[in-house]
Formats: sequence, C-alpha cells, structure tokens
Amino acid sequence: MKEQVFAAVLAISAVAAPARADEAFVANQTGDDLTIVELSTMTPLATIPIGGKPAGVAVSRDGSRVYVTSPEGHFLSVIDAAARRVAKKIETGGGPLGVAVSPDGSRVYVADMYGGGLIEVDPATEATRRVEIGAMPAGVAATPDGKTLVVAARDDNALVVLDAKSLVRLARIPVGRHPYGVTIDAEGGRVYSANVESDDVSVVDLAERRLVANVPVGSHPYSVALAKGRVFAANQYAESVSVFDARSLKPLATIKVGEYPESVAASRDGAVIYVVNWFSNELWSLDAATLKISAKAATGDGPRAFGAFIRAVN
Amino acid sequence: MSPRVFFRVLAVALLALTPLAAFGHGATPQKVVETMEIDAPPAKVWAVVGNFQDASWLPGVVKWEGEGGVTPEVATRRLYLSSGATIDERLVQYDDAAMSLRYLMEHVDINVLPVGNLSATLKVSPKGEGSLVEWKSRFYRAFPGGNPPERFTDEIAVQAVTNLFRSGLTALKAKVERQ
Repeated sequence: MKEQVFAAVLAISAVAAPARADEAFVANQTGDDLTIVELSTMTPLATIPIGGKPAGVAVSRDGSRVYVTSPEGHFLSVIDAAARRVAKKIETGGGPLGVAVSPDGSRVYVADMYGGGLIEVDPATEATRRVEIGAMPAGVAATPDGKTLVVAARDDNALVVLDAKSLVRLARIPVGRHPYGVTIDAEGGRVYSANVESDDVSVVDLAERRLVANVPVGSHPYSVALAKGRVFAANQYAESVSVFDARSLKPLATIKVGEYPESVAASRDGAVIYVVNWFSNELWSLDAATLKISAKAATGDGPRAFGAFIRAVN
Repeated sequence: MSPRVFFRVLAVALLALTPLAAFGHGATPQKVVETMEIDAPPAKVWAVVGNFQDASWLPGVVKWEGEGGVTPEVATRRLYLSSGATIDERLVQYDDAAMSLRYLMEHVDINVLPVGNLSATLKVSPKGEGSLVEWKSRFYRAFPGGNPPERFTDEIAVQAVTNLFRSGLTALKAKVERQ
C-alpha cells in the first residue's frame, strides 16, 4: 500500500512539475573546487574554489544554500547558491564527509568519518552539537518531516537512526557490508543504503526499523537515487547503474555509465537521474523512464558530489 | 632515482615507523594515469600484458604464481618482489576483444607500496603503426585517518604508484620492442 501511494505521488508530481533549469553542485575532490552545471542544457556554469578536498554536498530544500564538506580541510563550506560564492566556512574538526540539511534549513548534519560521530551545525550561529555514531560514519540523510536522521556507520555494517531534535539514538539496524550512501524516500517510509563491500542495496522500513531486504546490484555500489518507483544504484567498480523496482525489488536494468561512478541523484520531477563519474570527470544524465543516457557534461577533477547535489531553481 | 632504488629507499624509511593497520584508508581517492607508446602491433603488446598469470615484464618482480587463467573474479596472482615482499592481486574484468583488463590489489605491504584499495586498468589500443598502452588506477593512501604522517600522505601514495606504472611501462616497451 505504501509503495502504491509512493508511486502515485511520484506520478502526480511528474505531471505537476514541468522541467526547470535546475542545477547540479558537483564537488571535485581532486580538483579542490566545485562545478555548477545547468541541467536543462547540461552546461557547466561556474567553478567555485573550495579547498580541503571537498566530497559531500547537500542542497537546502529552498535551494538558497549548498553545504560542502572538506574531509582533509576539516571544514564545512556554506555556499550562497544564487550568488555562486562561498558565504562562509565553518570548522568542524575530524573528517567531515556525508552531509544533510534539515527540511527547514536550520540545521546541517555532518558525518565525521575520522572521529566516528555526527555533528549538528546551526549554520546561522555556527553552534554545534555532537553524537557518537560508530566506526567510519559515511552517508547521512534526514526524513522529509525533519524528525529523524539516518547515518551509515560504514565499518560497523549498520545504519544508525537518530531523533533529530534530541540526537538520541533510536535504533541501530544491521545492513550489508560497508554501507556508504543513504537515501530516504519521499514519504519517509524506507531508507536505502548502498553497501560497497557486499555489492547490494539494503532496503529498510523506517517505521518498523527493520531490514526488508538486501537487493544485489553491481560491484561496489556507493549511492542510491529514487525516481518513478525505481531504485538506482551507482556501482563504482562495475561502472554501471543498477535499476530495480522499489515495490517488487526485482531487477529492471543495468546501465553502462562513465568511469568509477560514485554519486547518483534524481531530478525533483523524477524524470532524470544524474550520475557523477569520478575517474572520467563527467556528469551524465539518464532518462529515468527509458533508462537511456541523454547527455554528458564535463566537471572538474575527481568529482564526488556525495549526497543530494541537485538544486531546484524556481 | 630509478623506481627500484626509490622503492628501496622508501621501504627503509617506512620500516622505521610503527606498523599501521593494513585495514582502512584515507578519505580522498587518488588517480594515476600513465601511458606509453610502443613500436609494436597491439596484439603483440596484449599478448604480454593480457597474460595475467605471467608478470615477468614487471620490474622488481622476481617470482610469480597464480591460478584461474584470465577468468574475472576467479583469477589471482601473487608477485614476489626482490625486496622479499609479496603483492596479491585479483583479476576482476577481462575483455580480450577490447584488449583491456582490470585487477584489484588485495594485499600489499604498505612499507613497499603505501596504498590501500587499489584497482587498476591496463588497456592496449592502436596508435599509428604501433600501440598505446594506458595504465590507470584508483587508490587511497594507506593511512586510515586524517592528518597522516609525512610518509603516508596522498602525495607519497601517488608518487609511489606513478613510479610503479612508469617503470612497468618502460620495461614493457623494452621487452616488446626487443622481441
């Protein structure tokens, strides 16, 4: 039933929201900068220097701010998306990697990979709170209502579920080996983790805090995107995107992409999937319905863009 | 400094350090791409590099053993270096028609090569009358946390892999062109 509602919501939103000139904020880790790509034409618009080997990206829901983590520089960059400039840098210490923004934009959540914790940052005051997660926290995501956070404790092979307000741990759910990217669906019902070492995607029921299934994908999946009732996983070693049905969990396709794809994200209307290819320095778009590659854009060197890197422009 | 001497110096320097866990790596994946033009037809070059079980063309390798032929995920090889260290590798992709293979370095003494999670692709293409060999790799520095010691930085890891590939391709060119 939940999945049917999910599919129906996607179908309605696909009709209601025509394609707009949205943008991708692609953090280039080797290049130490960030490429902004205009998505209707797949044209690079600007390059912003970041430093500290940027990796994680999270765009605020209103599209005004983009947060970028620099694990080697130990800071979080706050980017004014419209002005295309760094508004400020906030020291976090440790190894900031995965990042997510609360739906109201008031809090930013940063996974500290080296320190084993999650850091909550108030981007306005720069006040922080910290909670221990486990070994090598990687991806982080917030539910659409902002009440719950999910963090991948990579080397613990588990997802940690937190209450966003209190940062109290609600559950620890064992998944596949080395979960990296985590993605929560539009209704906050399910969370998906890409498990790098076990070559599968874990599907977890968030309300029941229960593993539903580990779905096999290609070699070394790093991240997951959701669109059209389908799950898309970027397989870094296989250099492909695996697609399976979100309801039946049955495989639908394997799409060959660029070299060492790491990050994948959906357009807000669910029509297009964007794939960041780390080795070949490209952003690819593919049609979420036909599963055909539609366009390619050049990025900087070593693009990671780990997280929700698509900015909705209204 | 020749790559071989470089590795010996590196090994001596690194042995003085407290051993690090082989498990884990840094947060920034590194890339190295090295190419070499060889004055020989692609098939002749591929006959050497495409034989995953025979690593005799790699400088510094004194002995090698392996099994599984060229079957992806099955084929493995162990390289014995002149320093006494060993490297274990597994073939993960093999495309005879495209003259391309990919392998993973599953175990290496980080005192010999200060890297972790190395995967590499070797590809032979036609170039004019001869061949172009491309050897490229993704890997991490061996040090698992932030602020690595000077000898385990990203730069040292990149330098070591670059030297390995350059010396390997130079030796490959010499071997094939001699044949």
